[in-house]
Amino acid sequence: MSGSKCTRLSGALVKQLLDSVDSVLFDCDGVIWRGDQVVPGAPEVINLLKENGKKVFFVTNNSSKTRKMYAEKMSAMGFAVTEDEVFGTAYCCAMYLRTVCKLQGKVYLVGSAAMEQELEAVGIQQTGVGPDHVSGRPADWANVPLDPEVKAVVVGFDEHFSYMKLNRALQYLTQQGCLFVGTNRDTRLPLEGGKAVPGTGCLLQAVETAAQCQAQTVGKPNHFMFDCVASQFGVDRDRCLMVGDRLDTDIMLGSNCGLKTLLTLTGVSTVAEAEAHQKSGCAERQGMVPDYYVESIADLLPALQG
Amino acid sequence: MAGAFGLKGCQKIRGPQIRSLLEAKDFFLFDCDGVLWHGEQAISGAAQVVSTLIRRGKNVVFVTNNSTRPRENYVHKFCRLGFTDVMLEQIFSSSYCSALYLRDVVKVRGQVFVIGCDGLRTELQDAGVPCVEEAADEPDATIYDCALAPDVKAVLVGYDDKMTFLKLAKASCYLRDPQCLFLATDNDPWHPLSSGRILPGSGSLTAALEVASGRKVTVIGKPSRFMFECISSQFRGVDPAQCLMVGDRLETDMLFGSNCGLDTMLTLTGVSQIEEAQEYRNSELTTNHSFVPDYVVDTIADFLPAFEELDEQSN
Repeated sequence: MSGSKCTRLSGALVKQLLDSVDSVLFDCDGVIWRGDQVVPGAPEVINLLKENGKKVFFVTNNSSKTRKMYAEKMSAMGFAVTEDEVFGTAYCCAMYLRTVCKLQGKVYLVGSAAMEQELEAVGIQQTGVGPDHVSGRPADWANVPLDPEVKAVVVGFDEHFSYMKLNRALQYLTQQGCLFVGTNRDTRLPLEGGKAVPGTGCLLQAVETAAQCQAQTVGKPNHFMFDCVASQFGVDRDRCLMVGDRLDTDIMLGSNCGLKTLLTLTGVSTVAEAEAHQKSGCAERQGMVPDYYVESIADLLPALQG
Repeated sequence: MAGAFGLKGCQKIRGPQIRSLLEAKDFFLFDCDGVLWHGEQAISGAAQVVSTLIRRGKNVVFVTNNSTRPRENYVHKFCRLGFTDVMLEQIFSSSYCSALYLRDVVKVRGQVFVIGCDGLRTELQDAGVPCVEEAADEPDATIYDCALAPDVKAVLVGYDDKMTFLKLAKASCYLRDPQCLFLATDNDPWHPLSSGRILPGSGSLTAALEVASGRKVTVIGKPSRFMFECISSQFRGVDPAQCLMVGDRLETDMLFGSNCGLDTMLTLTGVSQIEEAQEYRNSELTTNHSFVPDYVVDTIADFLPAFEELDEQSN
């Protein structure tokens, strides 16, 4: 199946592709749901894949929910899913700090209550979650009391982001040996109704600019999330499919890990964008060209039902 | 860029060399923070340097990226710190110049959404540029249910210690209209305090908004040329060759001077170290050479002996 890329998946090719894989990884936003609206046919696809003996996992850059919250949302929508099949960046970030960084000490967290919970679940304490506004004068802000046990600054999606939080993160990062980790670089949160919601990438850029250094990010397209799945569930890369709606995160992750890739058009990226990457001749951009694309994952149903 | 006296970039100069420079130039542009003062503490000798230059008939202006105060406020600060004779007309702040840009260059019709301090709003209001009212949002307002102002024709980002996620979200909504301008008072990523610690600067807020909007900002303040254009239109017939830009930050002040064709002097009482200037000078990337000062002094107080020598000569 190498050589040709960006092929429309239809007809006999669907069954051929599904037979060639044992595991399927799905992104969530723009693939199985859009905000709180399920993508029609998505629950049937996931449930049938499992009935056909495939392992199914969910890999999302969205850090605002714990894996338990995701599983609950999925169950309510009709997906037969268990908590341990879901890999969100809140969970993966906690795992990264615990297993890769082997962090001893606390985290200064710019992020959600979900991130706080996932950190706690692996035994890492945090400080900073929730609203935080300036008071006093600039000299006071530069001298905010720093918790000596904080050894890492972690940035995820935070609707309470403020100048004061940016300031505290900066003060911690000026300390020797302080780690700097971000959940992901997505620029925007997908939403119904057309309003733009800035994504974690914006908050991370603010902190990186002030501190003049780069964070290590855990989310797609970094391979860590796949490593998490693979280490817990024995996934064979050669028999694994990544399904997503974003070329720069989902498809790129698939390429980085040697997986087959399927773009669905119910979310952010378009076929035109994929073809542009393909024609560019630029080596770095080829990782963003999917093997196949479908209009919606519901297009897999006939092959699964037949 | 070699100085007028055949010096290579980045040379520390003293006495006679400073004297020649003072005779050759008649327009002096000074940055403020780290050059004239640290916070509320004047740098020793700085006030005397400024008043001596003015007394000798030199043009002196102050060019600062600090957008937090209106110019009247700066006049008070100059006075408070012992710099007498400084007038409003000599002060060019990024907030004042942003107001001029919106009023005179863009001739904005419609409102401006401002992320910044009261000082920035004051300058805009004084120039007659309409700003979106500071949010009377409910404390629980989110981007999903807050009101967006109609007819927003520009987003202006400055230093804002009350920056919130909601402001970032609103600004990125306004910026979805390609006709809506995207401006920043300055791009400084951080600012030093007199204690030696640093605080996040406008540059970090602007960077967040660039990512959110997918658009590149237009910077009004240094190192962009616009503040020099403001100065030129106010002081008719300013010849760049007659100017000396004195500052403490390579990436803003020296680059600004270079962009405007001015000779530049780095003073070591502020942000940048001489080693950083030397690194830029030795860099293979020719664009880095624009950061290199023509001249370097330990402090602008080094002008004082040069004045004495000039006095002695004329006696």
